[in-house]
Amino acid sequence: MAEQKIGKLNLTDILVTIVASLVFGLIFRLMGPVYDLLKPFGLQLEMLTYGIWFIAGPFVALLIRKPGVAFLAETAAAAVELLFAGSGGIINVYYGLIQGVFSEAVFAAFLYKRFTLLTAILSGVAASIGSFILDIPYGYLTGLVGWNLTLNIVFRFISAIILAGFLPYILVKALEKTGVTQLVRPVTKEDYDVLKK
Amino acid sequence: MDPVITDTSKLFFKVNPSLKLICFAFLFILYLSVQNLNTMIWTTVAFSIVTLWANGLPRKWSVGFFLMTFIVSFFSASAMILYGKGSHVLFQWFLIRTTEESLARGIQLGLRTFVFGLLGVLFASTTPPVPFFYSLMQQLKVPVRYAYGCLAAFRMLPMMAEELGHIRQAMKVRGMSRQKGLRAFYERFLHYALGILVQSIRRAQRTAVAMEAKRFSMKEKRTFYYQIGWSRKDLIFLSVMTVTVVSGFLLSRWIPLTPYTNVIDGY
Repeated sequence: MAEQKIGKLNLTDILVTIVASLVFGLIFRLMGPVYDLLKPFGLQLEMLTYGIWFIAGPFVALLIRKPGVAFLAETAAAAVELLFAGSGGIINVYYGLIQGVFSEAVFAAFLYKRFTLLTAILSGVAASIGSFILDIPYGYLTGLVGWNLTLNIVFRFISAIILAGFLPYILVKALEKTGVTQLVRPVTKEDYDVLKK
Repeated sequence: MDPVITDTSKLFFKVNPSLKLICFAFLFILYLSVQNLNTMIWTTVAFSIVTLWANGLPRKWSVGFFLMTFIVSFFSASAMILYGKGSHVLFQWFLIRTTEESLARGIQLGLRTFVFGLLGVLFASTTPPVPFFYSLMQQLKVPVRYAYGCLAAFRMLPMMAEELGHIRQAMKVRGMSRQKGLRAFYERFLHYALGILVQSIRRAQRTAVAMEAKRFSMKEKRTFYYQIGWSRKDLIFLSVMTVTVVSGFLLSRWIPLTPYTNVIDGY
């Protein structure tokens, strides 16, 4: 599509994003009970799995490398979780929206030029900051005793770095080897350079 | 989700999905600002009645779902109850320090999670995806590309399930599912994830090309196969919701069960 403006999402981008979000939405739904079962005793152990809920944004951004897909992915995955009656219910959509905005903001800050491990990790961490913003009024987070609150924050950041930083990076690297990423990424300058040789 | 839903004649199935979504989204904001424990208790009672009456699940499932949501909601309150801030200590043992304030806040949090969980069940069990996305396009003016994209994606679910089965069988034949240890688990996970993702991406790309060719992304004036409109059922729905919400607030004023009218006091 020659007339298409660079950066605008076409139907392929949207559909690939949504299908990937559907996969992650189902993973969110299946991880929900695991997360809930880690909650008793209040030791914040469930926070070690929290990172998986931030994965959709960084993963799709690394995969498609276009503006807007991280936000769309995180929101769509949250909506899928709602439609499959995930344990949070309607809350998920709000969390999805805010996490999507924060996740997207990191890639935007790099002007959509860098899709590396670093930006993936930053994006995951940004999403967890987004989740804290909702957790303060919703979960009375600041009403916890100091050590418990610290545990919550540290665990959440650790899991965001591993599950929403390293994991999507590993997955996309592996997908690159299969060649499937060539279907969905925009054409880059390097691709044209190859043709010139 | 189809096999779960048996009785689609219930009132909430006929309500406009966009209205339902907006109404529930508004309730989230509303109850986020409620800090009165009494209001939350009575609201929980009111919404429990509505959910048990109006949800779209078969009867034996609905009670199970209800109880599960209740238990899980109080799991999420456990940290607050056991380790919350407060000055009137009720119980102390090692690190655990339950105070009156933290208990009130914990119960508030648990009930709130429970109410949102109920709304989620109510929404998911009475809203099939197809009318939902058609309604998003027609009432909320969500761009057609996104809504049809979602619908096409939902169609791919059975294929994904089938592929999952194939990968499992292939692993069984090659003896991968019998290998133990962290490395084997990692390999298995990677194989499942990559297999599903690669095929889904390829299929999505092919489908998108086909849809584009058939002008599915057309933005000009267009018609829809399913017309989702408004009916008297929507008014009934709104009245039911209003009565539920208002009764929660009124009952808490008439019959306050606890002295905690503001749970964020005290820290």
